[in-house]
Parts: sequence; structure tokens; C-alpha cells
Amino acid sequence: MSLRGLRLTGTTLAAVGLLLMLTVYGLSFFWVPTEVAQGVIQRIFYVHVPAAWVAFMAFGLVALTSAMYLWLRDERLDRAALSAAEGGMVFATVVITTGPLWARVAWGTYWTWEPRLTLTLLLWFVYLGYFLVRGSAENPERGKRFAAVVGIVGALDIPLIHLSVLWFRSLHPKPVVAKPEGPTLPAPMLITLLLGLLAFTLVFLGLFLLRYTLQTLRDAADARDRRATV
Amino acid sequence: MPGTAVPPSEGKGIMKSKGSAIMVSLVFVLLLVAAVGPLSAAWPPSAPQATPLAQQSLRPYVNVFIAYAIALLAVLGWVISIGRRLARLERRLGE
Repeated sequence: MSLRGLRLTGTTLAAVGLLLMLTVYGLSFFWVPTEVAQGVIQRIFYVHVPAAWVAFMAFGLVALTSAMYLWLRDERLDRAALSAAEGGMVFATVVITTGPLWARVAWGTYWTWEPRLTLTLLLWFVYLGYFLVRGSAENPERGKRFAAVVGIVGALDIPLIHLSVLWFRSLHPKPVVAKPEGPTLPAPMLITLLLGLLAFTLVFLGLFLLRYTLQTLRDAADARDRRATV
Repeated sequence: MPGTAVPPSEGKGIMKSKGSAIMVSLVFVLLLVAAVGPLSAAWPPSAPQATPLAQQSLRPYVNVFIAYAIALLAVLGWVISIGRRLARLERRLGE
């Protein structure tokens, strides 16, 4: 696909995702019933969980494209990894800021060092390291390779985060959707959650394509400047 | 008049500030839209077993509003950041 095509597709996906996101906001306030045990605060679920899903998907994409970059040394894979890492950081930041707002009311504290919270914070710092490693290397090619390794290692934390509520004593509830016997949420809650997952995924994919386009243009500009100075 | 013509760089500045003003207005409108939900959810007029207002704590509503605003602002922030970098890069490539 041409850069113009990528840009158009990215803009369309992001716009549709953003509109859907606002629809989910509306549904979560006007359609979904208030949860009996937690009350209004449970509505953070409809942004917290989709943001977590997209962050994990983005970091999974970083790991996949980074592994393929180390194998094939194709610059397009490195650009994809960098673009996905940026998106992953945006959504992971949403997760670790909305979670404490929910916890303050549900648990009485903004933060506690329970396994899932700790592992999620660790994931955020690992991918912060991804950018630091990339930016601090004197040789850009070496920086890309080191960052790719960090991207792969960081993704190992994702299954641990998912399974931590089953393996350890945790304040987080057990899964209510991704479990063998199927989701146990009431229909309005489940539909709103699924729409939220779709909305956040579309926003991520759209902006990922735009960020990839940006990186391609930047590499082209850098290559042109290098040719001009030689 | 040729003597009072706006230099191209200043013209671009005006365009940029107009663009910023539109972007700020857009964010403000979106925040207002997002605010309608929590505020109306806070006092459902027809909820039969709603707790009397005096006994309710506003903290859950405020936290939900902040969480929704954070998600929206994070996404819009990323959109604006990518847009600005793309525009800058296109100017650089056009030189």
C-alpha cells in the first residue's frame, strides 16, 4: 500500500474508532445498568479494560515485529515496532492512571503493591526503557537491535499480568470475560465492553498506521539529508 | 499595500494559531460531551432505589469523569502529536 493509502486508511480508522469511543461513553452512562456491588465507579471498567487490551496487543505487536526485525533486518519491521510501542505506551498510561482512580473508591487506596498492579507498572517501565535504549545508543542500528530485544523481553510480562490473578492472591477480580465457561457479564455490560474493545482497537490501528507513515517519511528525510552532506 | 503585506512566516503563524484554537475548542466540546454523561448519571431522576443526594459521595462520579477524560485526552494528544510531527516533516521534505 502507498503512503497516501496508509494515511487515508489510518485517518478513517482513527475517526471511526473515536466516534465509536464517544458512543461507548454514551452507552456506559445512559444504557448500562449500575453495578450493584461497586456502584457508579465500576463504569471505569469500560475504558480501563479496553485500554489494557489495546496496550497488551500493541506490546505483543512490538515483540512480534521486533523478533522479525532481528531475523530479517527489514527496516519496515523496526518502524512497525516503534509505532506500536508508542501506541502501547499511550494506552498503558491510560491503564495505570484510570486503575488507581477506580481503586481509590473500590479498595480505599490509589495504589497497592499487589501482583497485577506491580507487573503492569513493570511493563510500563520496560517499554519506557525501549525508547531510552533506542535513543541513547550512539550507533542507531545498534540502538534498534537493543530496543528490539527489550521489546521482546517486555512482552513476556503480558501473560504474567493476565495469569497473576489466578496464580497469586490478588485484589483484582478473577476474569469475567476471558474464561473457559464464557463471559458472565449481563448483556448490556458485555455489549458495551465489546464495543469499547472495538473502538479502542480501531483508534490504535488507525493511529498506528499514521505513526508508521510518519516514521517512513522521517527515515526518507534523514536519508536525503545524509546524501546531501556526503 | 506591498509595504504592509504579512510575511509568509507570519501568515503561517496565524494559520497555526487558528489551527490550535480550533483544536482547543474541539477538545473543550468533547470534554463537555463527556461531562454530560457523569453528571446526568449522578442524579438519575427516575431511579427508584437511588440513595438520597445528601448521603451520596461525589468521589465516584468525579473519578469516573477524570478517567474518561484521561482516556479521551490521551488519544487526542497522540492524534495531535502525530499530526504536528507529520506537518513538520512535510515542510522539511518540501524544502
